Amino acid sequence: MPARSIVLAGADERDLTKFDEYRAAGGFSALAKARAMEPQAVIDEVLASSLRGRGGAFFATGRKASFIPKPDQTPKPIYLVINADESEPGTFKDREIMLRVPHRFLEGALITAHAIQSKNVFIYIRGEYLAEFEVLRAALDEIRAADLLAGVTVVLHRGAGAYICGEETALLESLEGKRGQPRSKPPFPAISGVYASPTLVNNVETIATVTPIIEMGGAEYAKIGPQDSTGSRVFSLSGNVANGGNYELENGTTLRELIYDFGGGIPNGRELKAVIPGGSSVPVLTPDQIDTPLSYDALAEAGTMFGSGAIIVIDDRACMVQLGLRVAQFYMHESCGKCTPCREGTRWMVQILHKIEDGDASQADLDLLLDVCDRILGKCLCPLGDAAAMPVASYIDRFRDEFQAHLDGGCPMDGASSLDNLFAPVDQHHHDPVPDGAPA
Amino acid sequence: MSTPETVKLTIDGREVEVPKGTGLVETAAFAGVEIPVFCYEPRLGPPVGACRMCLVEVDGIPKLQAGCTLTAQDGMVVRTAAESEKAAEGQNATLEFILVNHPLDCPVCDKGGECPLQDLTFRYGPGQTRMTFPKRTFDKPIPISPTIALDRERCILCYRCTRFSESVAEDGQLVARNRGAMSMITTFENEPYRAPFSGNVIELCPVGALTSTQYRFEARPWEIQNVPTVCGLCPVGCNISATTREGKVKRILSRNHPEVDMGWLCDKGRFAYPHLYAEDRIATPLERVRRRGFGEISWDDALDRAEALLRGAGGRIVTALSGSETVEQAYALGRLLREGLGAHSAVLPEATSSALDAFRAPLSTIGHAKLVAVIGEERVADRAPIVELWIKQARRNGGEVIEQAEATLDPELESRLRASDSAVLIWSGRGGGGGARLAELAHSLGFDGKPGCAAFQLPATPNGRGVAEAWAAAADGDEENPEPIGLLIVSGDEAASDPAVRALAEKAEHVIALTMYQGLALGWADLVLPGTSYLERDGSFVNLEGRVQRLRRSVIPPVPDELAWISKLAERFGVELSPHASLVFAELSGRVATTLSFGEVGERAPLAARTPYEAPAPASSPASPPAADTPEHFLGNLRLLRYRPLFSGPAVERVPELRFQRPAAEVELAYDDAQRRQIANGDPVTVRSNGTSVELLARVSRALTAGTVRVAEEHAADLHRDVEVVRSP
Amino acid sequence: MSALYDEIRDLVALYPEARSATLPALRLAQERYGWLSPEAFREVAEGLGETPAYCMAVASFYDMFHLEPIGTHLVEVCTNVSCALIGAQQVLEAFESGLGVHAGETTPDGNVTLRTVECAGGCGYGTVVVVDHRYREHLKAEDVPAIVEELRAG
Repeated sequence: MPARSIVLAGADERDLTKFDEYRAAGGFSALAKARAMEPQAVIDEVLASSLRGRGGAFFATGRKASFIPKPDQTPKPIYLVINADESEPGTFKDREIMLRVPHRFLEGALITAHAIQSKNVFIYIRGEYLAEFEVLRAALDEIRAADLLAGVTVVLHRGAGAYICGEETALLESLEGKRGQPRSKPPFPAISGVYASPTLVNNVETIATVTPIIEMGGAEYAKIGPQDSTGSRVFSLSGNVANGGNYELENGTTLRELIYDFGGGIPNGRELKAVIPGGSSVPVLTPDQIDTPLSYDALAEAGTMFGSGAIIVIDDRACMVQLGLRVAQFYMHESCGKCTPCREGTRWMVQILHKIEDGDASQADLDLLLDVCDRILGKCLCPLGDAAAMPVASYIDRFRDEFQAHLDGGCPMDGASSLDNLFAPVDQHHHDPVPDGAPA
Repeated sequence: MSTPETVKLTIDGREVEVPKGTGLVETAAFAGVEIPVFCYEPRLGPPVGACRMCLVEVDGIPKLQAGCTLTAQDGMVVRTAAESEKAAEGQNATLEFILVNHPLDCPVCDKGGECPLQDLTFRYGPGQTRMTFPKRTFDKPIPISPTIALDRERCILCYRCTRFSESVAEDGQLVARNRGAMSMITTFENEPYRAPFSGNVIELCPVGALTSTQYRFEARPWEIQNVPTVCGLCPVGCNISATTREGKVKRILSRNHPEVDMGWLCDKGRFAYPHLYAEDRIATPLERVRRRGFGEISWDDALDRAEALLRGAGGRIVTALSGSETVEQAYALGRLLREGLGAHSAVLPEATSSALDAFRAPLSTIGHAKLVAVIGEERVADRAPIVELWIKQARRNGGEVIEQAEATLDPELESRLRASDSAVLIWSGRGGGGGARLAELAHSLGFDGKPGCAAFQLPATPNGRGVAEAWAAAADGDEENPEPIGLLIVSGDEAASDPAVRALAEKAEHVIALTMYQGLALGWADLVLPGTSYLERDGSFVNLEGRVQRLRRSVIPPVPDELAWISKLAERFGVELSPHASLVFAELSGRVATTLSFGEVGERAPLAARTPYEAPAPASSPASPPAADTPEHFLGNLRLLRYRPLFSGPAVERVPELRFQRPAAEVELAYDDAQRRQIANGDPVTVRSNGTSVELLARVSRALTAGTVRVAEEHAADLHRDVEVVRSP
Repeated sequence: MSALYDEIRDLVALYPEARSATLPALRLAQERYGWLSPEAFREVAEGLGETPAYCMAVASFYDMFHLEPIGTHLVEVCTNVSCALIGAQQVLEAFESGLGVHAGETTPDGNVTLRTVECAGGCGYGTVVVVDHRYREHLKAEDVPAIVEELRAG
């Protein structure tokens, strides 16, 4: 299947970071078109497109927008908050979108604001994305200077380094100036979001896709890709692959096509061992599954998830136990600490995985690890707990032999693994000595 | 069949009908089913669903739900751990995760025996541990203040304490630091948690992480008795339980009267009980003896001496009351002095009035008022701390709170108050005739007949009104203001430490003092009779709502109860008086704020209904002693507000753990005034008034009105009303 | 009045509620003073109308705020999955030996703080190293000495 340039259309041919170039390429025509439409009509176009959220939850975007009360139904201001907190390991597509087509993205924000009749837009961008922030700020200034804001306030708000702030309610808490801990739902942000007001939260790519959808019409967009996942997606490819990068492809493209046709396959004469198809939070797939199409239903059927659209390729130099440990360390580091199972469970997982990796574990320890994962699953306040438990459980499930081998005397790769002795951020907390079993 | 106002649902197979909007935890309790919780506490705000203890299964929803976040819905079918294996597994998992890093401290932990974690582990948790790794450790316990100890290892991070600090007390001092498994509860830079309500976190904490340093290792729950009584240190009258062991008070807990205190206590009421055991507490009567100072005498001799002094005064007797006597005590004194001796003159620190009975309402009315106007120069938290919490709640609930120092309201505010059906006036300052002026104002604003509109005056004494009315009820007869005073009777520690009363004592020929402590009256009294504390008395108090509440003796005092010897003394003057509080109250019933009998007042006293407004008669209550201020000629540029801080008074002064809460030697300056004088926060300054000056440290405040400065009474010495403030050289 | 007060009030003006300016205000203070000391928290608190404890509690939640002094330069090596698979640990070790410190430490001359971070968002272009908030991509262990030299030269 060929690449499909919709969100990133024209970015290879022109420098679309320049306002005039973007305009010359047809930019802001969608905005004019949308503003000439009734707000509900804009929502209808998005509904017709069957666009689903590109952040990872994949919720129908048009439907989400229709949950927002109309101005005559609420005394409070209506907010559009854009989630640019991209922090899911393996994912770097929103970064590329903001860097290369900033005006298209901002145009989508203004179109969406019009659709939900909001005059207040916040873009929450992860603190580490400094260059992207600067590009957006410049683009926003140009849009303001060109008098295209039409009374809408757009605030660029930088985060400060917390993966959990990518969860929409935690993002709202952080935007309100607090520790970024998720909220219980209900109430949903559509009713009570930022400042207890109706709020629509959408991912960068989702918003950037609204612009071409209005341009071509929702029905046209719906013709692209499979029905359960219409359109294209900017897939982030990384890991043991020759050409890592972002590739905008039609949904339904298979993993094989992405990895081998676009990604150039596995370098250095290595073999494919595993694929993480949707960011580190999703269960792993094995090489026999790489003909799975990249779409919501197909990946669900394969026992994993579409997730953030990040494909991480793992070759046979990687020890899956060490991978499990590194992934668990990530979630332990990023756990917000609000709910018991995630806070205590992710740490316990790390402790057990260290023991397994060190070759000191018994069968009971492995069974315990699976039970801990099971006890976290479905019990937490937000999806982070599941995001830790599900992948690790899947590594044990799909690579059982490797875990068993560790029980019988340590890592069979004996130091040759690409992930050997990996130093994770959790290992460097110095204001609180936490004996978590990590090697000194 | 459910009505429009109720919903019907099923919990563990039991059908239950509850009002719409009822939370699921309460609904289950109503049905006799327990949904266990840790972080859930409605008084802290909306539920957060953090601890995951309350996981239940709801038909139609595949995932377990946090029961505390759910509201009862029509037709809902809920199964708890009792009926659902999935829920039982979920709750078991939560407890296992909590216990994974929880230390095995039960044998040395004060919470043991009254610990929700212990109890819930027994009921829903695992019987054995599977944790073989080192648990996370912290230095412990850490004193986060002289009164509260923090054990971070025991902490289960339910965030009740931080939510209290942020959303109830709004002091923002107790916070969570770091993230995830590294999270810990702390204050800023190990500074003490210094705030009037900090002690509530001890009761909120469901484990032994936040404990009282006073109570550390003092008792186990099966060794104690909790006596239900009422705090007597301020006019709110929070309902408390006095925990006693072997005849001594060991701690004070809240007893939660939803209309009065909502289950909160201020740190003074909670931590001041050691005043009962102060070193300088008087155990026997003392008589002044020439050259030797003071000598102990027997009670018989003391009563003889008292009788002699009373008779010898030739009727020129004045009684200085504290306003912290019980109603019964004041009545007994009144019967003795007024009936027995015709000595009708009494002084109280403030005027009192029953005029506000026309606008009375429970304090909880403030919490959901749409408009609250706080008038006066004194901080609410200094006079009636819990009222400050109610005001904060009003603001959080979307009400508007207007605070102003001036007594007159501007026309716009007046018209808003007049138009509202949910407005509260609060007078927090001196003067006002005990509420008579406020009642006039409320009446003119049309508060009569509007149950959502109420007015409260914050007195300076805990039971001033009760004392005044009891004294008035004791006999008929007018005050004479004898000149010179033949005998001054000083009743209570507050009177004994009041400079105005001291000034009177200096002019009196003789003085009898009723006081708990040596330091207060020795040196200027002829006879000192040992007093008791509110914790040692049966009796009643009338709080600022006009609610009569019953004190219950929690421990036997080391000295006779006042009623006991007053009745004996009264006999000698032909006055028959029972030594039992209940019988005295019966005599009084109907004449002091209520018509209820002593037994009917009950453990959570009701508030009597409003009486029709009557413009108060002039001068119907004991007069205040003459003001200490004299007119001055020096015109400084700043007006001094002397205030009595919450943490002051003879009881608080005798509790070392509370010393840190007492005000520093500071003068509070408004930001603009400080700027103009080039004074920075913390600078040493000289505060000057006519003929006197005091050295203090400057505390610059953005909240203070320009042109005023505030100094705590105990640091203000002889400063007059108009002062100037300059940087010390 | 603190030096930052007016600037923080300007930040507060951008939002419907003052508290929302907390992260920007903390960032401002950190950029001005190098790290968030207790005094910095007091200043930020005054500007926002919050308590220092509150500001500290918020700052400590986020990885980009430093509650202890750091070096003049900050080197952050991503060791999350994608970068790890292609040699991030070797890049880290090259920095450790080149700078003479372990990850999490600052060089004795106070010039460079080295630490590892979680996914920086450059996964297909790894290994990603963020030097003074600017991304360097496609780094291998052999590229490290030049960067170490660059930092030494200031």
